[in-house]
Amino acid sequence: MAGVLYEEATRVYPGSDRPAVDALDLDVHDGEFLVLVGPSGCGKSTSLRMLAGLERVDGGRIAIGDRDVTHLPPRDRDIAMVFQNYALYPHMSVADNMGFALRVMKAPREEIARRVREAARLLDLEEFLDRKPKALSGGQRQRVAMGRAIVREPKVFLMDEPLSNLDAKLRVQTRTQIAALQRRLGVTTVYVTHDQVEAMTMGDRVAVLKDGVLQQVDTPLHLYQHPANVFVADFIGSPSMNLAEYPVVADEAVLGELRVPLSRETLKALQDEGGDRVILGFRPEAVEVVGEGEPAGFPVTVTVVEELGSDAFLYGQYADTADPARLAQTVIARVDPADPPAKGERVRLRIQPGKERLFSAVTGRRLPT
Amino acid sequence: MSTSTTPPSPTPRPAVADEAAHGRAIAAAPRGEPQSPLESSSRRTRWLVTLLIVLAMLWTLVPLAWMLLSSFKNRVDVTASTPQVFFTPTLDNYRNLFRGPNNLAPYILHSVLAAGISALLAVFLGALAGYGLARTQMRGKRHLAFWIISTRMAPIAAIVVPLFLIFRGLGLIDSIPGLVLAYLTFNLPFAIWLMSAFFAEVPSSLEESALVSGCSRWQAFYLVILPLTKSGLVTTFILCLVFAWNDYAFAVVFSGPNSQTLPIAASQLVTQTGIDWGQLTAIGTIVVVPMMLAGLAVRRWLVTGLTLGAVTGE
Repeated sequence: MAGVLYEEATRVYPGSDRPAVDALDLDVHDGEFLVLVGPSGCGKSTSLRMLAGLERVDGGRIAIGDRDVTHLPPRDRDIAMVFQNYALYPHMSVADNMGFALRVMKAPREEIARRVREAARLLDLEEFLDRKPKALSGGQRQRVAMGRAIVREPKVFLMDEPLSNLDAKLRVQTRTQIAALQRRLGVTTVYVTHDQVEAMTMGDRVAVLKDGVLQQVDTPLHLYQHPANVFVADFIGSPSMNLAEYPVVADEAVLGELRVPLSRETLKALQDEGGDRVILGFRPEAVEVVGEGEPAGFPVTVTVVEELGSDAFLYGQYADTADPARLAQTVIARVDPADPPAKGERVRLRIQPGKERLFSAVTGRRLPT
Repeated sequence: MSTSTTPPSPTPRPAVADEAAHGRAIAAAPRGEPQSPLESSSRRTRWLVTLLIVLAMLWTLVPLAWMLLSSFKNRVDVTASTPQVFFTPTLDNYRNLFRGPNNLAPYILHSVLAAGISALLAVFLGALAGYGLARTQMRGKRHLAFWIISTRMAPIAAIVVPLFLIFRGLGLIDSIPGLVLAYLTFNLPFAIWLMSAFFAEVPSSLEESALVSGCSRWQAFYLVILPLTKSGLVTTFILCLVFAWNDYAFAVVFSGPNSQTLPIAASQLVTQTGIDWGQLTAIGTIVVVPMMLAGLAVRRWLVTGLTLGAVTGE
C-alpha cells in the first residue's frame, strides 16, 4: 500500500502548445479515495493515464509510495486500472479475465483460482465465472472490471469514469458499492469523473481541474462551502451557485436595490487589485423567502419551479431592474417543498447573512472576508 | 440481456419460425383470417430473394460442376456434342496426370510450398506491420497507409520485368524462394492494409488494460490483441493463399523446371496438337478443391467479428 505523489507533473501533447496537464501538484495519501473531477478536456483522464504510465510525463515527476515511477512502463507500477469501457477481454471467460494479471505474473494456479473466487464472492459474480463478457449485462461487466482490479491486489486503483456507461439508477447503486469496497480494502484510489455528484459522494477528497490546471483539492464539504474560485463555485453543487458581477460603491456591493456590505479585508483586497467590481455568489439553499417589508431582500419573478419531492427549486428573474444584463440572470433558490411559490408569482428573497461568497472580478479568486 | 425480462409478445400470431415448429397444428386448423397486404408483400420479397440466390448459385456452381463431371469422363464423353450428365465415370484423367515423364506431383509440391510459405509470411509480417500502422500516432500516417496499398495497384505486367531483372541478379529465377518473394511483393501490402483495419477495430483500452496488468507490449499483442483478430488473420491468410495459389503471371515468368506450379501444368496441356479436356478439367479440380475446402473450413472466421462484447457499447 502506498500514496501517490504528483510533483509539477506536466503533459504536452505533440502538436499542441498548451499543456493538457500543467504542473500538477497533488499528494494522495495512503488509503485515500481521491476523485479528479472537471469538465471534458480538463486533463483529468490524462493525469490518471500519466499515473498509469499510458501517457508520457513531459515534466515533473510522479511517485507511488517512495518509488519514482515517472518513466517506468505500466507493468512495473503495481497498479490496477478500471477503464470507462471496462476493456474486458472478449475471448476470455470472466474467471480468466479476473485472473489475467496473476497469470501474466506466473502465479501458481491454485493461488489464482483462490483469489478469483474471493473477488467473485465479494462482487457477487460467482455464478458468472465461466461466462464470456458478451453474455453479461452492463452492470455485471462493470463488476468484472472491478474484480479484475481487486484480484491483482495492487498498490493503487485507477478508475477512469467506470460508471459512465451504466444507467442512472445502477450508477447510484454502484457508486455506493465502489466507495464501500474501497473503504473496506483500504487501497489508495484515484478516480476520474466528470460528474460532480459522483465526486462529492465518493471522494475522501476531491481535486477540481480546469484546462489542465488544478483549481482546488479539498474534502467535498469544504469544497462546497469554501470554493477557491469562481470556477469551483460554479462547478460544484447542483443546482449551481448563483454568481454574478456587481459594482462596489463605497463599502457595499450593489445588487439592484439590495446592498451587501463588504468587510474591511475584502475592501482592502479589492483595492490592492484596483478593481471596483466584485463577483458575489450564493448557494440556492442560502436564500430564504421573506415578507414584502423585509429591507434586506430583493424581489424576484418566478419563471420555473422544480419540485423534486424532498426539495423544490425556484428559478426566477430579478424584478427590481430594467438592466438587460441583470434581467438575463437567473436566480436559483431552494424553497419549502411543502409550499412552493407559483409560476409567475413575485416573491422577495433574502440571502442569509454570512452565506454570500465573494470573488475577485479580475482573477476569479475568492476574496478574504 | 437476460431473457427473463423480455415481455411476452402482445400479438399471439405465430412468427415464421414458430409456424415451422408448430406446422402440423396450424395446418390442421382452418385458416380463417385473410392475409394482410403487408404479409403478402413480404412473402413476395422473400420469394424474390430466394430466386436471386438460386440464380447466383447456379451461376457459380454450374461451371464448377461441369468441370468436376468432365474430369471423370473419358476422351469420347468429354467432347460429346451433347453434354452428358450420366456416363461411366473413370479415374483415367487423374491417373494419367500422375503417370509418365511429366508427373503432376512436383507441380503440386511447388504450388503448396510457394503459396503456403508466401501466405504465412504475408500474414506474419502483415500482422506486425499492420499493428504498428493501426496504433502509431505519427504524422502522415494515412499517406503512409495509402502508399503501402498503392504498391498493389500496379498491374502485375508492370512489375514483372523489373522484378525479373532483380531476381536474375540475385539468382532467384526458377526457385521457390523467388516465387515466395514475388507473391509477397503483391500480397504483403494487401495483408498490412487488411490487418491494420482489423487491429484498428480493437479498442486500444484492451491493450492498455493488458499493459497495466503486467504485460509487456509483446505479451499484450499476442495474449490479447492477436486472439481478437483471429478472423482477420484467417481472412488475410486465405486471401493471400488464393492469390498465390491461382497465380499464373508470376509463375510463367519466374519459374522453371524446379519451381513450376499447378497453373503452369494446366497451361502445358493446351498444346498445338490439341487440348486434353479430360486432364485439363482434372487439374482444374485439383486446383479448385483445396481452396474450396479451406474456405469452407474457416468460413466461421471469415465472417465473425470477435470483438463483440469487448466494450460496453457492443
